[in-house]
Amino acid sequence: MDALPPAVTSLLDFLIDRINIGIFAVNRNMECTLWNRFMESHSGVASASVLCKNLFQFFDELPHKILYHKINSVFILKNFAFTSWEQRPYLFKFRHHRPVTGGVEYMYQDCTFIPLKDPAGEVQQVCVTLIDVTDTAVYQKMMKEAMTSLAEASNRDGLTGIYNRRCIEEVIMKECQRVQRYGGTLSLAFIDLDRFKEINDTYGHLAGDDVLRITSTFLNESLRQIDALGRYGGEEFVAVLPATDIEGAYIVAERLCRRLADIPVHHNEIDIRVTASVGIAEWQPTMSRYEDLIKAADQALYQAKADGRNCVRRGT
Amino acid sequence: MTMNNANLSIEQIDALQEIVNIAMGQAGDSLARVLNSFVRLSVPRIRLINSAQASQCIAEIVGDTQQITAVRQSFYNKLCGEALTLFSSEGCRDLATLMGHQTLDTETEKELLFDISNILVGACLNGIAEQLGADLSFSAPSLMASNVVSSQLLSPDTLPWAYALQVEVNFSLEQHKFKSHLIIMLAEDAITALADSLNYFIEAI
Repeated sequence: MDALPPAVTSLLDFLIDRINIGIFAVNRNMECTLWNRFMESHSGVASASVLCKNLFQFFDELPHKILYHKINSVFILKNFAFTSWEQRPYLFKFRHHRPVTGGVEYMYQDCTFIPLKDPAGEVQQVCVTLIDVTDTAVYQKMMKEAMTSLAEASNRDGLTGIYNRRCIEEVIMKECQRVQRYGGTLSLAFIDLDRFKEINDTYGHLAGDDVLRITSTFLNESLRQIDALGRYGGEEFVAVLPATDIEGAYIVAERLCRRLADIPVHHNEIDIRVTASVGIAEWQPTMSRYEDLIKAADQALYQAKADGRNCVRRGT
Repeated sequence: MTMNNANLSIEQIDALQEIVNIAMGQAGDSLARVLNSFVRLSVPRIRLINSAQASQCIAEIVGDTQQITAVRQSFYNKLCGEALTLFSSEGCRDLATLMGHQTLDTETEKELLFDISNILVGACLNGIAEQLGADLSFSAPSLMASNVVSSQLLSPDTLPWAYALQVEVNFSLEQHKFKSHLIIMLAEDAITALADSLNYFIEAI
């Protein structure tokens, strides 16, 4: 490159020093050959004291092995190298510019390692640029959290907070695939509140909503951690019971039925009696699709209704 | 290929093939030094493709149903374009073991893939650029897709070019499952710029 006019050189010097990006360089001995103002003010180490000194001896916090390897690869391969905040939030423990709003511990950094070649084409120094990407990181974190709660919300029933039909069907499908492939037992319980329309007609829809909410909370708390509960339709719930045969499912369903009938739902100082009919079914090796299991449990539920409600029936 | 080859003459393509062969050899050597293992590489293939063929070309390169993880990186200055490094999902795990990681969390695995593709891309492109008297700059590698079916990597509707020059080379390691495909792509205007550089190169020999 031709020599630049002095005015341009001094402008470049000024820019390198004042730009809002960290710029530093090291030679083959990892001794610092450039340290701009951004680096000075964030590290608290003046250029005069770090120049000609080994970078790693000055900064204990640096990920020694990784960084050494990276810089060395630039010397050997004459190639650019990078670090990104997403994999490695920071190289230097710099304070961030969010002392008030916070949310992060140190300044998030994206670094680029650039080979500086001499006229013969050999790399004599590696220049590093360090960009503060804390804001990007914070926004990304917020977005990820929003996405997670959105994904969570799309699986939930708005009224009761338990899984919605789409999600619980997915759970049933996955559990069926699991027993189909790996064996074991799996049962379903379809739980339908008895004469729910009468509750709505007698006490109003708000009372009906309360009954659904309280009943689903009760059902959810009565099940094991590995079970899953979803709202299948209006007043119909489905409990997925992994590692449970039909006998086990019967015991669970009976208990739910009894306790539901024993404890009335309290709404606006009135006690509402609620009972449920339950149809249970166990996965059979003869079944080929998850819908077969749903159908068996649904038929059992129909039988429980026909037999006078507030009881448990088994399907096959 | 039905493509309008008027962009590059036979002579230019021959020169490019020669340049690319040399560059890829150097890249294989760089990778071998980093991984401490003998690196096998295919003869680089150069072709012009149109955007409608893009997905099919990728599927052809890595195999139709193969699940891949793709890293992309841009390069600019005298030559500009993007380089894709494609890894098979199985190869990723093998690479981790090779680099001395017992278990890998996803971010460490990504960093590893980025480092490897950066070395491949940098070594190949610097080798090409050096012969053409160009000095390239690179952007940081980023994850394009992980564990997708190869034919779904590019969607032809969103590609901002009608035709592109594709340079493709496959890397594999002796006695390992690790395998990767490097695809360098230059679109339209960048091909014209490349043609100019190739003319200088041809005149100089």
